[in-house]
Amino acid sequence: MAKPISKKGSRKNVRIGSRKHTRKIPKGVIHVQASFNNTIVTVTDVRGRVISWSSAGTCGFKGTRRGTPFAAQTAAGNAIRTVSDQGMQRAEVMIKGPGLGRDAALRAIRRSGILLNFIRDVTPMPHNGCRSPKKRRV
Amino acid sequence: MAASSTINNFFSFFLPTKPPPPSPPQFNPTTTTTTPMNPSSQTHKPSSQPLIAQYNPPPPSPSSCSSSSELSSVICPSMAYSNTLFFQSPYNVQVVVAEDETEEKLLGRFRREVTKAGVVQECRRRRYFENKHEEKKRKSREAARRNRKRLPMSKTVGQKKQDVPATKREDDEDNWDLPEGDTLY
Repeated sequence: MAKPISKKGSRKNVRIGSRKHTRKIPKGVIHVQASFNNTIVTVTDVRGRVISWSSAGTCGFKGTRRGTPFAAQTAAGNAIRTVSDQGMQRAEVMIKGPGLGRDAALRAIRRSGILLNFIRDVTPMPHNGCRSPKKRRV
Repeated sequence: MAASSTINNFFSFFLPTKPPPPSPPQFNPTTTTTTPMNPSSQTHKPSSQPLIAQYNPPPPSPSSCSSSSELSSVICPSMAYSNTLFFQSPYNVQVVVAEDETEEKLLGRFRREVTKAGVVQECRRRRYFENKHEEKKRKSREAARRNRKRLPMSKTVGQKKQDVPATKREDDEDNWDLPEGDTLY
């Protein structure tokens, strides 16, 4: 649905801002994707360009531990630390997925000191789309 | 005639949007901050207008975008509303955060809203395909759980009501028996 952001000038990937000074972004969006087996936290600016991201896997958790609330908390902390160091002060939170990491990540975000505008649940819900896969026999 | 009127309406929509772009960029963040507040007033189901208003600020070059959309509307009128959202809102639940709100209160509120919307249950249901038989089983299970929540309340209330009058009746009987015995003897 969203329109792609058009590139100005040449077609090449132009670096945002100058190389010497790191970009300072006061406002952003924190996306939390919590599945049953993993939790991914991505921090973007208002236009949707990724600033930093982290996941339970990148924090060292493996196997079933990636889906635990503690892993989600760690991932959220890692993603937000980078951003808060850069100077982000206010953010919106978008949570997607049914996993256990939802509440843990939200708690970590709240404690990080970043002020929140609002929290949204944007889990995609098909209006009777295609057929789901058959049940797994265990 | 109807088509021309719709085109005129479309142009009238575009006319007020032109003035904002030449205004200084400082106004843009204020508009972005104000627009998300509107859906908060309407809790879950904001009207379509704020969604369109939300969509306007992001484009980096508004003049080229507006001109391209104008051209598309003229060339192909059916494409005029191709960007319109066809569902109520782009999110399932939204909770606006107050400035001095505690963590537990915020989390509780958000969790309650999500539970009310039934997001997690719906995700679990759609994880695997279920045939009619399994669907029937699921519905009966849900109904049993729902009834189980109601029954204990009625049972306890019934028991309490039954116990109290029984004791009263026993006391009354005791009182009546004694004087009869005395008078007889």
